[in-house]
Amino acid sequence: MTYVIGTNCVDVKDRTCIAECPVDCIYEGERMLYIHPDECVDCGACEPVCPVEAIYPADTLPTEWLWHLDAATAVTAGREDEPDAGPVDDHPDVLKLPARTGSA
Amino acid sequence: MSESLLSPPLTGPGPRRVPLPLITNPSEGPVKQSAKDFRSAEEVRWCPGCGDYAILAAVQGFLPELGLRRENIVFVSGIGCSSRFPYYMNTYGMHSIHGRAPAIATGLSVSRPDLSVWVITGDGDALSIGGNHLIHALRRNVNLKILLFNNRIYGLTKGQYSPTSEPGKITKSTPMGSLDTPFNPVSLAVGAGAGFVARTVDSDRKHLTSVLRAAAEYEGTALVEIYQNCNIFNDGAFEVLKNPATRDDHLLRLEQGQPLRYGSDGEHTIVRDAAGSLRPAAEAGATEGSDAEVIHDAHAADPALAFALSRLPENGGPTPIGVFRSVARPSYDRQVAEQLEQAVQASGPGDLDALLAGRDHWTV
Ligand code: SF4
Ligand code: SF4
Ligand code: SF4
Repeated sequence: MTYVIGTNCVDVKDRTCIAECPVDCIYEGERMLYIHPDECVDCGACEPVCPVEAIYPADTLPTEWLWHLDAATAVTAGREDEPDAGPVDDHPDVLKLPARTGSA
Repeated sequence: MSESLLSPPLTGPGPRRVPLPLITNPSEGPVKQSAKDFRSAEEVRWCPGCGDYAILAAVQGFLPELGLRRENIVFVSGIGCSSRFPYYMNTYGMHSIHGRAPAIATGLSVSRPDLSVWVITGDGDALSIGGNHLIHALRRNVNLKILLFNNRIYGLTKGQYSPTSEPGKITKSTPMGSLDTPFNPVSLAVGAGAGFVARTVDSDRKHLTSVLRAAAEYEGTALVEIYQNCNIFNDGAFEVLKNPATRDDHLLRLEQGQPLRYGSDGEHTIVRDAAGSLRPAAEAGATEGSDAEVIHDAHAADPALAFALSRLPENGGPTPIGVFRSVARPSYDRQVAEQLEQAVQASGPGDLDALLAGRDHWTV
């Protein structure tokens, strides 16, 4: 399993979750953050600290956010080999989302 | 699948190493496993963010490599947070008695050579309550893989100092600071005569996996110390070894046959002083490529290098991770099996029922 970040993070991206993750598997894009599904160890540390409740375990992810798992998988692919290589490119479907002000 | 493939009989009079690979489907070749196959249905209960999750994921990710059937793998644990591990593994397992996992696992490994036996323990379980059991398993070289999760604190009982807590540590049970000199688990294991000793870090999946691989390949007791963050009662204990800004200057990655170097460009070297201890060289690059440069040899029969490496941090040097020592020694299991075989050859197979029923041996 893995944890997944959903639409609520878009344009909020306050990075609180990054500091909590013990295995540094949360990658930063321009508009949102992505959890590497193979690196995530399901420790649950990120979920409660998110101020906008954007993070869910994959198996309880709201249906309208299911696509975020595929997006995160695509965006973080290969990053396990270069963890320090800086930001990732946002997923095309994330780029299409309307600008958000941060209220969930 | 035929019945005999599922449960091959053990052959011969005494225990033998019977490799039990994954069931092979004649039309499709070996059955493939993934990490998922080793996840149990139990809800994992450690504090969110605990390093144990990372170790669990790494072990589950590694086990398919062994190509063994799940029913031939056993995880035996003692008591402590880490000892919840067997619940989360879809293998056989036992959450046993405080400190006694090595004793139980010894019996299992010696009598069931068809099993791959792993011990899960912590710094309190292995070094305090179970200190004796640990050193005796190590000196015997029982075919066990012991994963010692070292978080330098008692987590399950909510934050008392442990046998690996640093001197001066203030905890609920040491309000004025710990007076105890901590154990260094690697030094202890080398001193106890262990044939395989390694150290790794919970959050470094690749390194952890490579050490698990080396441990699994070793026939005998493999002691793997895993630095594990307890983010509730001892958060950041190994931060300096994990933080990208500091780790290069504090972590020495041991590579067989390679010089002992560290630093972001490998610019720091290690020298042996007149007393035989290892220390960081005074100047960066001073001994690089020279005869004074120390080369790592985990296979050296003499444990002096492994021991000196384990003391490096006490001498102002970096903390080594990787395989300190890996030398071939006859395993206890194999030797017991050989003795049994000799006994059978000499005196016949014996009669267990007769032995249990017994005779009166005592005349008063
Ligand atoms: S569940 Fe744990 S490992 Fe996974 S992203 Fe969150 S903090 Fe990181
Ligand atoms: S804590 Fe929530 S909003 Fe903040 S970066 Fe992480 S997922 Fe996004
Ligand atoms: S107390 Fe510490 S070691 Fe135990 S589960 Fe919580 S974080 Fe992990």
